[in-house]
Amino acid sequence: MDFVPGGELSRRIREGDVSAESELIRQFEPGLRVLLRRRTGGDHGLLQDLVQETLLVVIQRLRGAGIDDPQKLAAFAAQTARNLAIASLRKAERQRTDVDSDATERNADPAQSVDAVAADLESALAVRALLRELPQARDRLMLKRFYLDDHDKDIICQEMNLTEAAFNQALSRARRRFRQILEERGFSKRDLLSLGL
Amino acid sequence: MNQELIDKFVAGRLSEAEAEAFEEYCVANPEFAKQVEYEQRLKIGIALVSRGSTAEFVRSPVHHPVRWNIAAAAGILLSVFTLYFMWSRYVPTAVKPIMAAVTTDEQRNGASLRLALVRGNEAVPVLPPGITRVEIVGLFDLGFHYSVVLDRLEKTEKVAIATLYSQHPTSPVTIEVMIDGNRLAPGGYLLRVRRQASDEESLDFGFIKP
Repeated sequence: MDFVPGGELSRRIREGDVSAESELIRQFEPGLRVLLRRRTGGDHGLLQDLVQETLLVVIQRLRGAGIDDPQKLAAFAAQTARNLAIASLRKAERQRTDVDSDATERNADPAQSVDAVAADLESALAVRALLRELPQARDRLMLKRFYLDDHDKDIICQEMNLTEAAFNQALSRARRRFRQILEERGFSKRDLLSLGL
Repeated sequence: MNQELIDKFVAGRLSEAEAEAFEEYCVANPEFAKQVEYEQRLKIGIALVSRGSTAEFVRSPVHHPVRWNIAAAAGILLSVFTLYFMWSRYVPTAVKPIMAAVTTDEQRNGASLRLALVRGNEAVPVLPPGITRVEIVGLFDLGFHYSVVLDRLEKTEKVAIATLYSQHPTSPVTIEVMIDGNRLAPGGYLLRVRRQASDEESLDFGFIKP
């Protein structure tokens, strides 16, 4: 993907260039997903909604008044996403204080649950496939300690009698394979129906 | 931006200011953001798989069924080939027969003993040591199979010690068999030749092994 500077994107969108809007979406969406994942507590449906809403707000702003410093378009998009996430959180908290929380849980939107479950399920299935492929018990244990127990790399190396190079190599291999598995399963062109849920 | 920073972000170890700067970098750099997202998903996936049990992280490796099958098939093939190889080259001593059919020219041209029913002959043939071709003389039908039984003569009975079935006469007056004299204990023996599937009585020929 060719990176288009924020200033140029801003100018083209202001001038009504629809292709520039598509480029903005392609360029910003991955980063917004990273940012919002941290703020949506695993709710994949909410994450998707907020990503869409953020992009919509940014594009509308660029079509209209524009932003003060077009070079800082990424920073503007990031701050917009944060604001929307905070607003969404406040809204959810208000709703929780207004209604019976047990009833809310019972009547939770099933579609949203499926979305959330499906996205996480993809990751879980890929991890399970990865674990099956890892030949050494040491590598599996290392992954658990690093990602699940959040142990520090130095401590893991020391306790598992690993050199830092061996640790990095094993971890890098696992990451690469995990990514491959997700891509083979169609992560890049996600289709929830294909998950068979 | 390096992997260590990604690790810290995903593990939630960056300060809020550092995390926000990191996020902005992600928004501006989609390829880098994708790398971070895979890392986030790996963490989520591991958390889900280990929910309730971490057995999958400590179990013995599960081999791919296809690979296992290939290994099993290779093992079977190797075993079959090895057995065939050993079978085709190994002739155990225990199988060496006391009596056998004549099959080679070497046997036909080697030492021989002629057994015939001769009226008035009181002498008893003697089987020489080693493998001997025994020529049994009589009237035989070339269209039939004959059985040849070797009996050891005990004091009161005959004990069959070898039998050959489906022997063809080599001529209308001869049936030949090979007998290993070294494998016979000294004593008297009887060779009985009988046409198979018939009521005919056998022709009996006695000899001794010194």
